[in-house]
Amino acid sequence: MTTVQSKQDVALMAHLLRRASFGATRREVERRLEVGYEATVEDLLECSASFSMPEDIIRRYHVDQSDLRSGPAAGAHWVYRMATTENPLEEKMALFWHRVFATAATKLIQARMVVNQVEMFRRYGLGNFRDLLVNLSRDPGMLMWLDNQDNHKGAINENYGREILELFSMGVGNYTEEDIKECARAFTGWSVVNPDYMSIKMRNNTARPYGYIAWQFNYDEDDHDHENKQFLGETGDFNGEDVVDIICKQEATPRFIARHLYHFFVADEAPVPQWPYEDPKDPEAIDIMTQAYFDSGYDISEMLRVMFNSDFFKDETARFARIKSPAEMVVGTLRLAGGLELPSMETYAAAGVCAQMGQALYAPPSVEGWQGGSDWINTGAYVHRVNFASKALGNPDKPGLRRLIDDIRDAADDGALSAEMLVDACLDAIGPMPALDSTRQGLIDYATKWGALRFDDDGAAADAAQKIVTMLQLVVTTQEYQLT
Amino acid sequence: MATQTITKPFTLKYVDTIGFVADQGGRGFHLPTDMVIRDDGRIFVASRSNTTALDIVGIQMTTVEHQFLGQLYGYGRGDGQMIWPSAVALDSDNALYMADDFLQRISVYDAEGNFVSKWGAVGASDGEFDGPSGLAFDDADNLLLVDHRNHRVQKFSKDGKYISKFGSFGSGDGEFNLPWGIALDSEGLIYIADWRNDRIQKFTPGGEFIAAFGSSGDGEGQFNRPSGLAVDSDGNMYVADWGNQRVQVLDADGNFIASLRGQATLGEWAVEYLNANADELDARSRFVAEFEVDVDDPHEASARVESYFWDPVTVALDEQERVYILETCRHRFQVYEKV
Repeated sequence: MTTVQSKQDVALMAHLLRRASFGATRREVERRLEVGYEATVEDLLECSASFSMPEDIIRRYHVDQSDLRSGPAAGAHWVYRMATTENPLEEKMALFWHRVFATAATKLIQARMVVNQVEMFRRYGLGNFRDLLVNLSRDPGMLMWLDNQDNHKGAINENYGREILELFSMGVGNYTEEDIKECARAFTGWSVVNPDYMSIKMRNNTARPYGYIAWQFNYDEDDHDHENKQFLGETGDFNGEDVVDIICKQEATPRFIARHLYHFFVADEAPVPQWPYEDPKDPEAIDIMTQAYFDSGYDISEMLRVMFNSDFFKDETARFARIKSPAEMVVGTLRLAGGLELPSMETYAAAGVCAQMGQALYAPPSVEGWQGGSDWINTGAYVHRVNFASKALGNPDKPGLRRLIDDIRDAADDGALSAEMLVDACLDAIGPMPALDSTRQGLIDYATKWGALRFDDDGAAADAAQKIVTMLQLVVTTQEYQLT
Repeated sequence: MATQTITKPFTLKYVDTIGFVADQGGRGFHLPTDMVIRDDGRIFVASRSNTTALDIVGIQMTTVEHQFLGQLYGYGRGDGQMIWPSAVALDSDNALYMADDFLQRISVYDAEGNFVSKWGAVGASDGEFDGPSGLAFDDADNLLLVDHRNHRVQKFSKDGKYISKFGSFGSGDGEFNLPWGIALDSEGLIYIADWRNDRIQKFTPGGEFIAAFGSSGDGEGQFNRPSGLAVDSDGNMYVADWGNQRVQVLDADGNFIASLRGQATLGEWAVEYLNANADELDARSRFVAEFEVDVDDPHEASARVESYFWDPVTVALDEQERVYILETCRHRFQVYEKV
């Protein structure tokens, strides 16, 4: 491959595409470099592309991805989307909000309600934070997840009132217990259509007689507490939207969201429960994003824009410093292989292996979501990672893999690819991905037994292609591949 | 421009709902994809089920009187077994033919439900297919098979010998884009649900193009991914307008005459279930069945309103030409009759 860009530019673009997308091949990095870094950031934020696997096609072949009741079907459904989308940042932000606003199908029983919530994240997750928080508060899955159907005038259930402050906007230490109660009062009457029946069906965990009925938001005026409330220093007959307005004005809110964004996109932060007692890893980064929030009128995209264009994001120490989440690793590998076929049972396997590695899509372990970081790796999880990645790159007929083989073959000198050239070409083609000297030497030692690969005739080329595939399979089993 | 035909008043009256989510076995269906009615009233329903309830993959049998008659075969790759049952049809001897979209084969069962044979080869050559999606027998007792991913229809003898084919990929007359369902009228004319072209196409028994009905959209006479249909003795077409979550009726000339959104009630199996579960029955007494949904997407609206069709996938007619509409996501069929 002809390289016209500097190594630094390539490495930085690859970094952006690992974090804001699901990784990229060298070929895509080069393509993006033609328009430049800042233009690529804008393109990722724009989310203007329309393609991902069409819903009608998915439903036609996978009927269980039409009712979206079961966890495996729902997980596979999201994998289709992530693996084929041309708006990767939209999916990364959906994953981001799914972690922050963690809602699990394990309680809601019908995964569909969490799928719908994540779809709402796609619509609002890169927009105005107030709109997002209002829609989150109207989201039927969230309301039932935090029992707001039991939050009545004169008999509050403070679950949602507490969590919107503690986990969804400001964080502990920025409000009082009294604020929680007043917040809950503001959300009285925010429920779903047919709350009694829906609650019983959820509790009984039965789809009978005709399958689950999806929930719809319902505001019950008669059940709303219209008395005055005192919330975060303000007094009035506040409803849910008013409370969200007050929350969005607080400096604690963008600082909390910025810290989450930093943890997800830049570098691992401490677990959320420690945030009241531990300063952010990079206080200046939080300041910058907080300022962007207020300057833009609560725009999440603006926070992302300043983050991706900042020195703290671009810094070399930030690169390959995080462990890929299972979804990032699995989807990135599927995109690398390319050509997700339809119907594809690979999507079910991919969602299943995410769960085995600790990230069951639509089923975070608690309201605090997944911490990530070193939690992602243990012996069992690593074995699942290695097995999945190796298998996903096992079919040389996949179009993505085909392109990688062609690019690696282009590195041949005088028709031959030495062991060293093969290894370096593979590491370059999938990113590029730097490897430790020991890792690189281990791969070279393995390839040395093959001798130089040649492409003189069809037989030799086919044999060489198979060996390239084998080397790529080895590359994705390295510890370096687990990093982003 | 063709003259609009004045059609006689046409009304379909709701009769009953038969079904139950059999996700844990027992009476009912789970994510059914096709149905066929035998002349003695026995109804065969092919259930796809999901990956967490593979025991329910199979062909359930029932009657319109809510008599459940058990399940034929189940999940697997062995003789008679199935993975993605997609279509069923009966020949003149009441042998049952079942298409498996995953295993890419046709399985044949005798009138008692015993496995007889299986055949099929995946590919695009004559006699091979890729995604068998609709089955129907013609007057000569040959099997017409909608070859979904090859965008064509093939004709086979009962024992699987290739006879002929028609259609190819495209959107012109006689061309298809991922066709799905098939029906024959009393004259042996062939109707294909041209799924991704959003239309119905009509052919002679020899596969010559006659007419196309419908276009993309959600207006009267328009379709969004029609999946299956039936044709009555007057030539009226009852089309499962899958993407629009409704059934539309067109007259023999293709004029729109009726549309149904679904009005399911609790059938016998559902009532028995609720009577045995007092808490759900009690909550059901305060249940608002139909309400204004706050989304435009008809698929999501169907997920929220239980009486609506949710993925109406095919339509079948019985001897009295009552109209049976099978819904994949509600695990039931609704029955209507002409009045």
